[in-house]
Amino acid sequence: MDLPVQQFRTKAEQDFLDLFTSAEKALPGARNEWVSGRRRKAIEAYGHLGLPHRRIEAWKYTDLRARVSEAHPLLLATGLAVAAADIEQAFGAKIAGLPAYRLVMVEGELRADLSDLAGLKASGVEAISLAQALEKPPAWLKASLGAINPRADDPVLALNTALMTGGIALRVGKDVTLDKPLHLIQLDGKGDPASAYIRNVVVAEPGSAATLLESFGSLGMKGLQRNAVTEVLVADKAAIDHIKLQLEVEDALHLTTWLIKLGADARYNAFVVSLGALLARNQIYAQFTGEHAAANISGVTMQRGRQHCDTTILVEHLVPHCNTRELLKVVLDDEARGIFQGKIVVAPGAQKTDSKQMANALLLSEGAEFDSKPELEIFADDVVCGHGSTSGQIDEDLLFYLEARGIPEEEARALLIQAFVGEAFESVGNEALRDAFAAASAEWLGVDFD
Amino acid sequence: MLEIKNLHANVDGREILKGLDLTLPTGEVHAVMGPNGSGKSTLAYVLAGKEDYEVTAGTVTWNGEDLLAMDPTERAVAGVFLAFQYPMEIPGVATMTFLRTAVNSVRKARGEAELSTPDFLRFVREKAKALKIDPEMLKRPLNVGFSGGEKKRNEILQMALLEPSLCVLDETDSGLDIDAVRVVADGVNALRSPERSMLVITHYQRLLNYIVPDRVHVLSDGRVARSGGPELALELEDTGYAEFDGQAA
Repeated sequence: MDLPVQQFRTKAEQDFLDLFTSAEKALPGARNEWVSGRRRKAIEAYGHLGLPHRRIEAWKYTDLRARVSEAHPLLLATGLAVAAADIEQAFGAKIAGLPAYRLVMVEGELRADLSDLAGLKASGVEAISLAQALEKPPAWLKASLGAINPRADDPVLALNTALMTGGIALRVGKDVTLDKPLHLIQLDGKGDPASAYIRNVVVAEPGSAATLLESFGSLGMKGLQRNAVTEVLVADKAAIDHIKLQLEVEDALHLTTWLIKLGADARYNAFVVSLGALLARNQIYAQFTGEHAAANISGVTMQRGRQHCDTTILVEHLVPHCNTRELLKVVLDDEARGIFQGKIVVAPGAQKTDSKQMANALLLSEGAEFDSKPELEIFADDVVCGHGSTSGQIDEDLLFYLEARGIPEEEARALLIQAFVGEAFESVGNEALRDAFAAASAEWLGVDFD
Repeated sequence: MLEIKNLHANVDGREILKGLDLTLPTGEVHAVMGPNGSGKSTLAYVLAGKEDYEVTAGTVTWNGEDLLAMDPTERAVAGVFLAFQYPMEIPGVATMTFLRTAVNSVRKARGEAELSTPDFLRFVREKAKALKIDPEMLKRPLNVGFSGGEKKRNEILQMALLEPSLCVLDETDSGLDIDAVRVVADGVNALRSPERSMLVITHYQRLLNYIVPDRVHVLSDGRVARSGGPELALELEDTGYAEFDGQAA
């Protein structure tokens, strides 16, 4: 006997469906069948999955169904005036002044007036606004969008595909080595609570090399809901440094998903700095599909108040002879909560896989909480896979040593916290960026050691 | 002048110092010797203000000020310097950053102007050279991968930079070969002055061949069991601590 199945939906879950229904006709690429077909398929998948909740293992510690009470309307571009001072205000002088090819997105819209599109083009990088590209997607984008490392079971990704409005599609030409980082600056707006669905697609063609920095900052909007996805294809012998600085406004919901595929002899170094937002989740999915490739996925999370930051990484070794390194440093104060979920899957036949995961947390208060869940799924017999996780407090003996040298306690603590996160910053290749991150963490600590 | 009167101190609830009296006049160098467990290192930590060393009775004054009422930072500012037996390794803090932070913190608290980076570099290079410290070493994380000798020289470098008036050297010779002892001792001797007092804690007489003390105190079971001139150290070299070990047992 078949009974009609009535699925229960929370208000927020229904809100997202309604948001799609009301926005569908006005979304970029609405008249393009390929694009609208993908959107409909995605919203259908979301409709089945609903918002992820704690009974789904991958979302055990970050219950979006419980935490998200409504879907904010889509952030609309108003052509907001943004000056250099606003960017400096949002990210600090070092990040704002970083020599880079800049791509600036305000209110989800790529702003040609603030971006260096001409410089990029001259350097061998094709860059088009996603909104524009969706109206008539070029063949290379059709081959990549949603296809680099597809994840059918992820409702946050599905929502992004259904509602993507802004972002950038980039193609780094064969054997092109970019001389400066590509700096994707993402700013919110100034108005009422709204949501931004950003989709970036990066294709690094064989032998190319580039640094992509994604900076998320605030112009002072309240109640931002950001869902940003970046897909990166690192083709054979290509090398991508993919770095993120998240300084989102303190009441923001920040969900990002990185979908990565590595070819043979490819290098991918991800580094995620999470300081802002109220509820943040960094999802990184990476897949090795060619031999002798290596990925290093590291980051620093510093949270206080009632902030919650979840870093969830899934690396799949589908072929032999690839290496993965993960190092996450987490500093938590007050009632903040940090989460590390790192899963490494070694497929049958992916022999000589070498992977290491490490998460270290420093808890500065009794109320802070760190949850760490490293996982290994190994179906090959000749592999080296290790993982570790620690959480602790500031070492009193080290603190005493610094104090005995006349360094006041607060400053000594800050110096030790800086040292703790500094170990992770060392894996950032770009020196100016390393300095900028050290400055950002010092600012978080309220000290200046320069 | 350092005046320690009837000092009692506990570590983990166990009494280690049991009524220690010691007076160190300004400008003098006194050695503190004694068998293992007699309380030498405890005395050093109590003077520097380590948290888990609980003073249960007695007084310690430095130039008339109550040292025990100060936190470790305030003591450093007041001129107290402890050269650690086991200097801490701190990965992620460059030695130079640490030195500059310490020097400028102390200068600021003493009401002196902070040193600019070039002035500070000149100051460090000059002091480091005298201690045969390779400037490259200062770029490395604090004490990480340093040899025993490098760590101790780094301690003396900090002492030279912070210009303390009371130096407490806790087993500075331990783990050093004879050449390293000589370098460290030369560094210490260069800092001897009529305004500076030093308490040199050591298990062995060897260091005192190079740093010749004005007085020698022998600790036993948490008290000063005997005091005398430099010849007392030589006498101990011959007889050992057997006499004092008996009291400690």
